[in-house]
Amino acid sequence: MSHILGNSIEISRIVFDEETIRKRVIELGQMITKDFYGQEVVLIGVLKGSLYFFSDLSRSIDLPLKLDTIGFGSIPDTTSRTGVVRITKDIDVDITGKSVIIVEDVIRTGLTTAYLISNIESKKPASISLCSMLLNPDRLLMTIPVKYYGFEITDQWLIGYGMDLDEVGRNLPYIAETSRKQ
Amino acid sequence: MAIITISRQNGSLGDEIAQYLSDKLGCDIIDREYALSNFFGEQSSGSIERLNESAKFFLSSSSGSDITYKDILIKHITELAQDATPGHDIILVGLGGCVICANCPYAVNIRVCASEDTRTNRIARRFNLDYESARTSVETADRKHKRFVSVLFEKDLSNPELFDITLNTDNSSVEEASAAALALIEAKNRRAKIAIETKEVGAIDHQAEAIVFKNDTEAEFAHILDMYEIEWLYEPKTFPIEYDAEGNIKMAFSPDFYLPKFDIYLELTTMEQKYVTIKNKKVRKVREMYPGTNVRIVYKKDFLSLVERLKRFC
Repeated sequence: MSHILGNSIEISRIVFDEETIRKRVIELGQMITKDFYGQEVVLIGVLKGSLYFFSDLSRSIDLPLKLDTIGFGSIPDTTSRTGVVRITKDIDVDITGKSVIIVEDVIRTGLTTAYLISNIESKKPASISLCSMLLNPDRLLMTIPVKYYGFEITDQWLIGYGMDLDEVGRNLPYIAETSRKQ
Repeated sequence: MAIITISRQNGSLGDEIAQYLSDKLGCDIIDREYALSNFFGEQSSGSIERLNESAKFFLSSSSGSDITYKDILIKHITELAQDATPGHDIILVGLGGCVICANCPYAVNIRVCASEDTRTNRIARRFNLDYESARTSVETADRKHKRFVSVLFEKDLSNPELFDITLNTDNSSVEEASAAALALIEAKNRRAKIAIETKEVGAIDHQAEAIVFKNDTEAEFAHILDMYEIEWLYEPKTFPIEYDAEGNIKMAFSPDFYLPKFDIYLELTTMEQKYVTIKNKKVRKVREMYPGTNVRIVYKKDFLSLVERLKRFC
């Protein structure tokens, strides 16, 4: 067993192994290559969860891509339990008039995605598409068209392939269900 | 909202604001010139000239009928207001539009004003006049505007109750003042769209009521939506879902939030399972009785995990 998780986290089962992920990412890359042929495409990865997916997906797309990343954080706010969302790392590439594909690790409620879309919309791209490694359609609170996704999930607590539990487990090469609640 | 009326003082930048809004919204402007050419087309050029000069002449009958020019004006503007739909706006400049459209639920009545000194300076610069001549021009125009509305509709144009919003351009640019108007137009458009849909499907519209959250969870959820800059309306609509034999409403459902951009209603449930079951039943009924209505339940565990993730950040 891997030493990546240390002693604090236990894996109950591997949900998607390396080979399954690799094959699916290639399929997604091929779909995107076909759909965006002839367009100026900017791939935007959402930090940090999409790191590995972003890296593998971009190398599976046979197009002249521009790559960028975007990151979020929250500022504590005494008036609420949740704080205030802010962008910690904005995109640097000019996306005006270009086809943007947002790459996420997982879409659950869709709130982050909705925020991302409205933020990126303000920069006037030609189009915005979503590509998520994982999607939980039962928990989506927004009517967001997720055109490309790797796998559907339910209410599992997952780590690996970019996803973490208290910043641990991102570098697992597979996606696993944890026995400790996130 | 379907019709935007703009009442403006001479030199207040009202025409410029009308043009800016027209460009932004992609809609037509109906002004005095348009009205005189199109509303009274069959009248002689002499009558048109008098209509342009005299407010009182609007009270006289058009040639060969008992209908006054005022009636014709009201008829045309009312028709325009009825034909326009939310998202397909019309801008009506002057002509007492704020009075004619006062009872039109989807109208936005805008007043554009500025101090006499500011307006005089603008007129002086624009027409290369000395200050005194410009001031006389401003005073004359003010009197004429006031008289037109007073003679035709017996209303005082200085009454703020005639307007939804008053824009003072003393210290605001056309763009700044227009931004305030656009925000109101957009919000009213959204409300009108929901009200029209509500009327069509037989639901109850209570968007105009003040927001009073029933519990802390709702307030926190509203805060979360704000954090993500997701526009929301609180309980904008009630869906009747069961009627008795006499047609009285036996059961209704008012989802907690509506997200206009995503056209989805969200109902929070953070209570016991038995209430969750009832809510699930209500949501099913809404989906059956109001096809095309998107309703989602936010379960307690969803909400708590959302709060948890936001604390650590997503």
